[in-house]
Amino acid sequence: MKIPFRDFFTKDRRLGVAIGRGRYDLPLNKDEGTNFLRLLIALMSFLAAMALVGSFTLDSMTQRWSSGLENKLTIEIPAEKENGDLRNKDDMASLLKQVEAVLRNEPIVKSADVLDDQDIQNLVEPWLGKDAPLQDIPLPGLISVELNSSEPAAMEKMTADIKVVDSGIVIDTHEAWLQSLLKMIGSLRFAAFVVVIIIAATTVTAIAGAIRSRIAVHKADVELLHLMGANDEYIVRQFQRHALTIALQGSLLGTLTAAAVLFTIKLVSGGDTALMLPALSASAVHTVAVAALPLVACGIAALTARFTVLRSLSLMP
Amino acid sequence: MIKFEFVGLRYGVGPEVLSDINFTLEPGSFHFLTGASGAGKTSLLSLMYLGRKPTRGLVSMFGQSINKLERKQLWSLRQRIGVVFQDFRLLPHLSAFDNVALPLRIMGRPEKETRNNVGELLEWVGLGDYKNALPLTLSGGQQQRVAIARAVIGRPKLLLADEPTGNLDDEIGFRLMNLFEQLNRMGTTIVIATHNHAIMEKFGHSRLILEMGGLRVEETRSSLRRKIEGVY
Ligand SMILES: Nc1ncnc2c1ncn2[C@@H]1O[C@H](COP(=O)(O)OP(=O)(O)OP(=O)(O)O)[C@@H](O)[C@H]1O
Ligand SMILES: [Mg+2]
Repeated sequence: MKIPFRDFFTKDRRLGVAIGRGRYDLPLNKDEGTNFLRLLIALMSFLAAMALVGSFTLDSMTQRWSSGLENKLTIEIPAEKENGDLRNKDDMASLLKQVEAVLRNEPIVKSADVLDDQDIQNLVEPWLGKDAPLQDIPLPGLISVELNSSEPAAMEKMTADIKVVDSGIVIDTHEAWLQSLLKMIGSLRFAAFVVVIIIAATTVTAIAGAIRSRIAVHKADVELLHLMGANDEYIVRQFQRHALTIALQGSLLGTLTAAAVLFTIKLVSGGDTALMLPALSASAVHTVAVAALPLVACGIAALTARFTVLRSLSLMP
Repeated sequence: MIKFEFVGLRYGVGPEVLSDINFTLEPGSFHFLTGASGAGKTSLLSLMYLGRKPTRGLVSMFGQSINKLERKQLWSLRQRIGVVFQDFRLLPHLSAFDNVALPLRIMGRPEKETRNNVGELLEWVGLGDYKNALPLTLSGGQQQRVAIARAVIGRPKLLLADEPTGNLDDEIGFRLMNLFEQLNRMGTTIVIATHNHAIMEKFGHSRLILEMGGLRVEETRSSLRRKIEGVY
């Protein structure tokens, strides 16, 4: 008695042996270039996984920054008056009080905190050092404001009201800074997208080339099958299964390697946020997206093989 | 079964290898195709197994003009034609068994039936001990028998054989001719290209003779008798 699946583990891998529809009449799995193609697909999957994770990370970075800064602004009362004289302490304190009073009457304001000397000290410490003699340095007055919304009309009214107190007061919505940051992230994400497209195009080209060369190698045999009345599907199936197997092996290898590398990076960096980089994102959706890479690779490989073979067959009489 | 009308064939820009070929083969008939080397026997057969399109003229197979057939219809038409190629064309990486099984697998026959039929036929052509041998390890005559077995395994409606006994001694040659005869009695139309006068004399079927690019049909006494008796 023959064990049905024994052939699967032997070197010939079901060559010419029928088990259901899974059979090769052509020795595709023994062809030269199979290993190369597998390696290429592994590499492409690795790069695609990296590009994907990179773009996801940028994504969550954007979200964190914009949600952190949205609806927040800083009001600055400059240490100098408009004519260049320094404000004295009492002057500054009274201005701060007036602005605070204005803010309290604005419906759009959720909370407002006047930063005291200690807060300011903490802010400038990285630049000036711990024991900076703050008393001798003219410091601006700062109020950190949180808004309920950023509705333009209410914002304008608030700005106008504050300007009444003193026209030199600066209202910083962080918008300009955030905008340029978002712009930069946007172009990085676009670059990642382009990389993914290039990877897909390269993979398609490589697989199509490999399949074409296999058809050339087995031209006489493919023609014979055709002459014996094999329908296109019968022939295509073999090439398609071959491409799919290679793509599955290659892309699993590539994606798992990428996962290992990313995991190592995560371990080494230890979630350190000193660089303002959020820890590598690993949300469920993103994990699924990366895990789906091998499936996408298989789909690309199978379809490419399919159309390449169909094209060659259509040229036969 | 087969009808050629003013068929011409040329390779590339060369001269016409076949010109103005006109003939009709009745279903169930048996013919030898003969002519000098280079006369175009293989070329004519390739038109019949739809391996080539004629450069001019009309070819009808199984009552259908092949120019009008769709791709799908060509597949099933080809499945009804068994071919023994002059150079065998066995798949080199498949065993003798798998080579012979190929037509049945292409037709999608059940694997069990395939195994039984192929095993039996290989025994019959004297290759019972060579089921798992690869073609390259077989002698010319053995390869030829594998090629013949492959051509007949699917019980084709039309069998085209190009010098099928060229590498065989008379005894096995006659044995295989008897196989063709048996197939013919079951209704298969047969065309055999051959130089072998001994075989043509012994079996006495009508002859298609290729000469100077044209084709001439030569009936024999036995072929006429069959015609008159209405075998076909
Ligand atoms: N693929 C081809 N390309 C170009 N010319 C060809 C091709 N095949 C055959 N020919 C030419 O066609 C002519 C007939 O060849 P064919 O093979 O049909 O002869 P044949 O009768 O089968 O000969 P033989 O008895 O030697 O097998 C020859 O002159 C040959 O050179
Ligand atoms: Mg010939």
